Amino acid sequence: MGKFWSVLFLMVPVLGVASFAVAPLYRHWLPLDVSEHGHTIDHLFYFILWLTGAVFVVTEVAMFWFMWRYGHDQAKSGKFTHGSHSLEIVWTIIPAATLLFIAIYQMNAWAEAKIINPGAGPDGILGTADDMPATLEVTGRQFEWRLRYPVPPRLRNEALGRPADSKGADDDTDKDLFVVNEMHIPVNEEILINLKSADVLHSFFLPNMRVKQDAVPGMKIPVWFRTMETGTFDIVCAELCGWGHYKMKGRLTIESRAAFDKWLVDKYREQSATHGLQPVPEGDSE
Amino acid sequence: MNRTVPFGLRIGPIVGLLLLVSGCGPSGPPQFHLNMVAIAEMQIPPDQQQQIANVLDAMFGTPDEPFVLPESGLDIKKIQMAAGPVKSDQFGRETGLYRRHCGHCHGTTGDGLGPTAMLLDPYPRDYRQGKFKFKSTERAAKPTTDDLERVVRDGVQGTAMPSFGLLPDAQIKALVEYVKYLSMRGQAESYLTSAMADLSEGEKLSLARETLVDEMLQPIAESWTTARDSIIPTDGENAKPDVPPAESIAKGSELFYGVKGNCAKCHGWSALGDGQTNDYDDWSKAIFEAHQSLDSDVATLDSSSEMSSEERAALAQHVAMLGRALETDALPPRHAMPRNLRQGIYRGGRRPVDVFYRIYAGINGAPMPAVGPASPGAQGTLTPAEIWNLVDYVMSLPYQPISEPPRQQPAVSRAAL
Repeated sequence: MGKFWSVLFLMVPVLGVASFAVAPLYRHWLPLDVSEHGHTIDHLFYFILWLTGAVFVVTEVAMFWFMWRYGHDQAKSGKFTHGSHSLEIVWTIIPAATLLFIAIYQMNAWAEAKIINPGAGPDGILGTADDMPATLEVTGRQFEWRLRYPVPPRLRNEALGRPADSKGADDDTDKDLFVVNEMHIPVNEEILINLKSADVLHSFFLPNMRVKQDAVPGMKIPVWFRTMETGTFDIVCAELCGWGHYKMKGRLTIESRAAFDKWLVDKYREQSATHGLQPVPEGDSE
Repeated sequence: MNRTVPFGLRIGPIVGLLLLVSGCGPSGPPQFHLNMVAIAEMQIPPDQQQQIANVLDAMFGTPDEPFVLPESGLDIKKIQMAAGPVKSDQFGRETGLYRRHCGHCHGTTGDGLGPTAMLLDPYPRDYRQGKFKFKSTERAAKPTTDDLERVVRDGVQGTAMPSFGLLPDAQIKALVEYVKYLSMRGQAESYLTSAMADLSEGEKLSLARETLVDEMLQPIAESWTTARDSIIPTDGENAKPDVPPAESIAKGSELFYGVKGNCAKCHGWSALGDGQTNDYDDWSKAIFEAHQSLDSDVATLDSSSEMSSEERAALAQHVAMLGRALETDALPPRHAMPRNLRQGIYRGGRRPVDVFYRIYAGINGAPMPAVGPASPGAQGTLTPAEIWNLVDYVMSLPYQPISEPPRQQPAVSRAAL
């Protein structure tokens, strides 16, 4: 057998690196990023990928070399050592320093994605009069995303064919638009979502927005991002939430403000329908 | 050092390999099942059970190879797309949609007894009775294709039925056709089971194709194809009158708590769904009654000493069969809970017209009664205008403080009840 096993072992780093090199050719790489802050997340991802990739290659090659050099010589027995204070210090300090560096290096990205809430008032606290109104509320439920949009009075009047300045007529009924799985948002605007869960833990994941946030029962968690391009993208659940987790898929449509308003009006009109299909006259059935 | 490998470790890989080769699940293609509760209740002997299964096989095929007679009015192309094992061909066309999306709750036979059904409240729908709740047609009529598509697309809020709105249109249409197919098959099965039970000693059921098509399949198929004739009109005199919302809501409130509408009886005096809560829907009622008859049979077995030994043996056999059927082919019956109207959750859709349909025609299969006219032109308990008042009131409830309507049952109404 000779050096067969060491060469076989060498395949681990070779194939490991090759799979990364080839993946983008097969489109198995990061999804298209259409958000404003997504590139900072991607940058951190690549930074950590290169760092761990380099360590991976160096350690694998070192292990290969030891196998290549000494593995086949059955007559010679290895020399075992036990305990080395200075070695322990080195392998503690290097990873600790690396981790500390990553922790500091990513602070801005984390703050922008999770702490500096555009919906908070100037004092940075949620729930003041200066709050930016949420674009919508998303509620995870086994196994769908239920969305609730506030519809401004102007658009409600337009949908119901009332004079633009009339108000309060439908104050006692649905002022909100309720939709399932089909999320529309305007492009180039700060989007604030209040995230809830109706039952168990879910995770609201917009791959193209580089946004991922757990939905926790009993909590209203703000999620924000800004999109740069129009298009249609996926909403998925990134937390195993039950047997139907795989079917918890939604569709995100990013469109211009005008198209978004029109969508709100159309959907609100549909939701306010007081007419259904009419019966088919006798003898003319389907 | 002892080099003996434990027995479990030696045999483990072999067992694993065997499982991998054979597959861990039950083997063989899924089969349609007969409604064993009905069969046990009506005491259908095994040879007649086989006849029922044969007729259904000939008329509807199997889950993997469905078949429809032209008289059924069903589209075999759509049904084939929804039936069979989950697969897609070289062009990415998917088949086996029902098994992929629906079967685990609604069951292979459409009996609402899929493996996940027992975990859900409310239980998934059993299509075999041909009764559907959320539709735009008269109470006893079948839903229209649009009605079923809407349910698949939007899901049923407040239940485990999710939205399938992201499926391509053709797939939704195929699934709806398959639901109709399962429903027709289920209704045909009940027809055959009752017909067998009605036979007198030595009599035989005519299983000629023409008789079965004329007397069984045609009427069922027709109830589906004519569903659109039974849509409740929402124009003309049924159109929503142009009344200021506040006025309409006030009128609706009177009707809700008054004798005429009497909604509070079930939905409760706070509209929290806490009125009468001990009723059953048709599906649970059938199982509840089967349990009752089983209990009384067991009591007879225990107490009666006047039975001959043959009678006793026959009854014991019946008890064993029904008991087994209730254990394996039914879920424990549950009370039908009146809706809590303050949550803003509308199972049949939140358009005002959906709520109008619910009040006008009631909910088929559920204790919710119809208050609209039974047929066009007839006199209903409430006029269309009054139903619209109720719609406005009901849809305003989630936005009103709970103390606003009378929390106590008014003396007048109490006397009337």
